[in-house]
Amino acid sequence: MHQWDFASVLANTDALAVGALGTLRIFAICLVAGLSLGLLVGLGRYSQRRAFYWPATAFVEFFRNTPVLVQIIWFYFALPILMPFSISPLAAASLGISLNSAAFSAEIYRGGIQSIDRGQWDGARALGMTFLQAMRRIILPQALKRMTPALTNRAIEIFKMSTLASAIAYVELLQQAKLIASLNFNPIEAYTAVAVIFFVFLWPLVQLTYVLERRLARDE
Amino acid sequence: MAYQWDFTPVFANADLLAQGLVNTLKVTGVSLACGLVLGLGFALMRLSRQRLVSWPAGFVIEVFRTTPPLVQLFWFFFALPLIVGIEMTPLLAAVVTFSIQSAAFFAEVFRAGIVSVERGQWDGARAIGMTHGQALRRIVLPQAVKRMIPAFMERAIELMKTTTLVATIAYADLLFAANEIAQKTFRPLETFTVVALIYFVVITAFSLAARQLERRLAVSGESTVH
Repeated sequence: MHQWDFASVLANTDALAVGALGTLRIFAICLVAGLSLGLLVGLGRYSQRRAFYWPATAFVEFFRNTPVLVQIIWFYFALPILMPFSISPLAAASLGISLNSAAFSAEIYRGGIQSIDRGQWDGARALGMTFLQAMRRIILPQALKRMTPALTNRAIEIFKMSTLASAIAYVELLQQAKLIASLNFNPIEAYTAVAVIFFVFLWPLVQLTYVLERRLARDE
Repeated sequence: MAYQWDFTPVFANADLLAQGLVNTLKVTGVSLACGLVLGLGFALMRLSRQRLVSWPAGFVIEVFRTTPPLVQLFWFFFALPLIVGIEMTPLLAAVVTFSIQSAAFFAEVFRAGIVSVERGQWDGARAIGMTHGQALRRIVLPQAVKRMIPAFMERAIELMKTTTLVATIAYADLLFAANEIAQKTFRPLETFTVVALIYFVVITAFSLAARQLERRLAVSGESTVH
């Protein structure tokens, strides 16, 4: 029977704290970059102009249909060959996760915008608004409300995906757990601790999406 | 920048890539089959009125849905063997992790599907003398499963993408084969580009097939639950 001993993990809280900071950093970068790029791509997917529609569609299809880990590894090992500069693990992982999240959130934005009643457009145009004004003032505010649960889900996915950065040795929680496990020979406690940290952080967020979904279902 | 692209070293190792793709499909297939069976079990447990049955299932589902798959994989590969005292191969760790993980997601799909079947169907089945199990098997599940197919297909495709994580514990899947070839030939750009394209083609083929199936189901008059 294994004797659980978390003292060896607790002795390395500073290492875990550094990891947690790394996780939060990459999460913040990918959340902002992914969801804002996603809006642009989503508008492109919604556009009737081919010059916008086709590149956006190609982008979405490509990044949705390849694994994130392959994208991260491509940006880390393959891209620098074409570039005159080197790419840090943070940059490569952020690129992979952001572009992937942009592709997935683009479909959420598109669906949300499409779900808004045509009359809203007509009304806005009748008041003399341009396409962009109507989009910004009338359509997006309504669509965003409907998209909130799906976008929160995306945020949770991004948080989970951030662990993939450890595959290219970016310092985040899982990478620090690997380090602690190899120095103290305590993989059981180290990986359990990290799993618990993720669960404690994400569980309230998941519950929040349930609440948002229920509230939305009630409102509509 | 005038980089000389050269794909010949990659194609010279086509057999490695083919073997890698087979291994990827193997992990996906086995995890999918186990995940479906296990997922139905979890769903039925969670729907149970007895708390002693429904709470543990709910706990497992929540844990596996809210922790990163890579953390789960490391836990099953590095931690579990020490606790249980068994030898763990990368393949076994991957299949166990992805089976339970996809079961957690499938359980929610099953549950939503079963709940979406009208109450009257249950009442009707009970009225003609079926037991709970019979009603579930003969009346409710057949209707529920049809509605769940699109969600299943989506999850199966997610699963195939997730299997790339096994490369990090040195199972020879497609991504791992790519790593090896890149190091051997000093051609990471060509190798990873080719591998990304292979994944793209395979996964796109599956999604197109899924979309086709979805359309056919829509024609036969069943709404799809999402």
